[in-house]
Amino acid sequence: MLQVSDVETAYGKIKALKGVSLSAAKGRITCLLGPNGAGKTTLMYTIAGILRPLRGSIRLDGQEIAGLTSAAIVSRGLALVPENRLVFPQMSVKENLEAGAYRRKDAAGIAEDIARMYARFPRLQERREQLAGTLSGGEQQMLAVARALMSRPRILLMDEPSLGLAPMIVEEVFSIIKSLNRDGVTIFLVEQNAHMALGVAHHFYLMEQGRVTFSGEPGKLAEDEVIQRAYLGTRRASA
Amino acid sequence: MDFYLGLLQIIGVHTLLGLSAYVVLLTGQVSLAQAGFMAIGAYVSAMLTVLAKWALVPALLTGGAAAAAVACLVGFPALRVRGLMLVVATLAFGEAVRLFFFNFDYQIAMGGIKVGPLGGEGFRQIRYFPENGWTTFQVMVFIWLTVGVVMTALWWMDRSRVGAVLRAVGEDEVAAQSAGLNLTAVKVSAMTLGGFIAGVAGGLYAHYTTHIEQGNFNVLVATFAIAYPILGGLSNVFGTLAAVVFIQGFLIEGLRFLGDWRNLLFGALIVLAMNVRPGGLLDAQTMSKGLSALRRLLDPAYGSAAARQAIDGLKDAGAMFRRLIAKWKGAFGA
Amino acid sequence: MIDIIQNTVDGVMIGSSYALLALGFTLIFGTMRRLNLAYGPTIMAGAYLGTYAFLALDIGVLPVALLVVAGAAVAGLYVERLCFRPFGEGAAIASMISSFAVWMQIEEAASLALPHHLNAFPRLVSGQPITVGPFFFRLDHLAMLAVAAAAAALVHVVLHRTRFGLGVRTLIDHRRAAELVGVPVTHTLTLAFLLACAIGGLAGFLIAASEAQITPMFGMWATTKGLIAMMIGGLGSVPGAIMGGLALGVIEAQAQWLFGPQVRDLIAWGVLFAVLALWPGGLLGGRQVAEQQAVQRRV
Repeated sequence: MLQVSDVETAYGKIKALKGVSLSAAKGRITCLLGPNGAGKTTLMYTIAGILRPLRGSIRLDGQEIAGLTSAAIVSRGLALVPENRLVFPQMSVKENLEAGAYRRKDAAGIAEDIARMYARFPRLQERREQLAGTLSGGEQQMLAVARALMSRPRILLMDEPSLGLAPMIVEEVFSIIKSLNRDGVTIFLVEQNAHMALGVAHHFYLMEQGRVTFSGEPGKLAEDEVIQRAYLGTRRASA
Repeated sequence: MDFYLGLLQIIGVHTLLGLSAYVVLLTGQVSLAQAGFMAIGAYVSAMLTVLAKWALVPALLTGGAAAAAVACLVGFPALRVRGLMLVVATLAFGEAVRLFFFNFDYQIAMGGIKVGPLGGEGFRQIRYFPENGWTTFQVMVFIWLTVGVVMTALWWMDRSRVGAVLRAVGEDEVAAQSAGLNLTAVKVSAMTLGGFIAGVAGGLYAHYTTHIEQGNFNVLVATFAIAYPILGGLSNVFGTLAAVVFIQGFLIEGLRFLGDWRNLLFGALIVLAMNVRPGGLLDAQTMSKGLSALRRLLDPAYGSAAARQAIDGLKDAGAMFRRLIAKWKGAFGA
Repeated sequence: MIDIIQNTVDGVMIGSSYALLALGFTLIFGTMRRLNLAYGPTIMAGAYLGTYAFLALDIGVLPVALLVVAGAAVAGLYVERLCFRPFGEGAAIASMISSFAVWMQIEEAASLALPHHLNAFPRLVSGQPITVGPFFFRLDHLAMLAVAAAAAALVHVVLHRTRFGLGVRTLIDHRRAAELVGVPVTHTLTLAFLLACAIGGLAGFLIAASEAQITPMFGMWATTKGLIAMMIGGLGSVPGAIMGGLALGVIEAQAQWLFGPQVRDLIAWGVLFAVLALWPGGLLGGRQVAEQQAVQRRV
């Protein structure tokens, strides 16, 4: 469904992505693991159209989306739940959800989807008039996911959804990921928490220093080796 | 001749004003209060020479010290705000100072006439230089001696630990703090030093023009003060000097023949300069290129290298121009 | 006591035009996080266009109003293209310096077009003040209040009932998040800038019509009034801009009655400095900022 080939992205003169190729299959959960600074977030922002790649191609259902604006990419059915959630802090929960549907014009469908989000995340309904900045970290994560779903994406990108959350909340986030996937949403997930990620992924990639260094199914690589490489990187691990 | 001496005086005082903003900018603070500090220095030192009959240098230093004290007091509350909020807070302070002098009367009779600041009328008859028989040339030399002392001191400071500390705070406050620097102390010190330099500039200004009024220290002057180091770049003090020469010498005096149309072109050229060199006219890269070119020029063995350097410079300018055109095409939707 | 009430009433009515100035300012500052020093001069460009047409063609007051608003929007487009569009995120100071340079351009262009310092401007309404008991209300001030209130209500509707308004609110709140939900950032910013200049143009028209004159000093005057009112109320907040404008009007009216016109402006700037030093987010914005910081600490 999503095919990234040979993508390079740079900040000024520093190349953060040095030719990344990977793909996410329809209806599955694909996971990308790697140490801090490997370029995972850069890749997510590049796919979502926030950063422009220097070269390479990004295809969504065969159509080229590299170089499009983020607005056009959302319209084509790709939504990103960003690292650190980035909810609209001064807007209410309900307004956040409405903002998530910015690209849609069907008022009735939007209202219906908001009701659906409240059914899936009852806590958001309880707090629908509250400013999003006053929610707890876990609630903000639910809101960020719900906001992304409001654009009716065909594929959902999630960048470190477990970051900074208590273990119990992390469990909850991953059960939501699984249930979303059961409902047919394709998911491409970046995680630091290798154990949880390997528990839900159908396929996973390892990324180190701007390059993909492993691709396979969970179980193809011993979990402790994955963890070692995902947290420390190969170079330091072998040294 | 007097015209050029007068121009040199203006450039000298504005260089000091720009340097006062430069010091504050090094710590990442943009202050629009420099014109206010200049006003304090101008009024205090002029009152000391005219009303209290002090000698010039102690009066200038006291004016600078008064401005520094106020700047230090402003520094503390201003620390609570950052970025553009600080710009506005310092603008508010500078304007409040200006309007204070708009309402400030303190006149005493002296030899049959009343002298001293008189509200909107301003402060006339600051006659220290003519009374003591200074020529315009001597005044100009005195101003440039002061500029020389301040520039040398700042140049040395830039290269010492103090400069490194100021820049560290300017580049990344959080990192500087975690490296054990006291942000409050560093920022307030920079503000105080900047206030002192602006105050001295104000004192010199008051004495060579002989007449000051609140309108001389408005937001226009405050914006010029920060425009100099920003246009000149923060890599060292000479950028500020270059920017003052560029603006006061070339844009204001050089374009005077354009008459009423001057400000239209002036505005366009500043916008252009900001577009071409957002990092300043003399950023670190240009500076090192210039220095090595100069070194080669002085060394005959590298004569041809210098020529190559000049050609490279022209190529750079061409590339810069092309980039600019591309950017503006984008800006106008072409 | 009667004087104090009369001053407050006058202050609120004058303050309604400050509120409009602040509303336009806050739309630019809130969405772009940049200071547009050329905001007042942009409005002045519109006002000069209006008064030029009034003097040359002797047109009525309503066409003049339209010309002022349209002129301010066109001048705003010039400022946006020259000072804001070319600079990337983070170059806020470069934008500010450029807008200052454009300010000088507009002031020069205005005095080239109409070399007199004072230029006549048509009145919106004229007539005797209405007296109610010991109080009196100037007709032009009542008209100013009514038009400003209607305009503020219209802006509220645009911000809360349209897709463009939703985009503006998301940009004020969090630019990156706005990009992620698919708000076309550049397009929305330009439209917000134009809307802001048009609102400012309306405010400028109301003020010039009430004074029945316009001078080249109007640009600097409008920038400072709008800036103070916006900052007192808190950044990027529409109710804050309105409250800030009204508060500034009342403070100025009381200060002028107590100390005279020269001290009035000094007090206005002094209040702004105090507000910024004590409540860095502004009177209305402060609480929200504090809440946000508390949340970030918790997370």
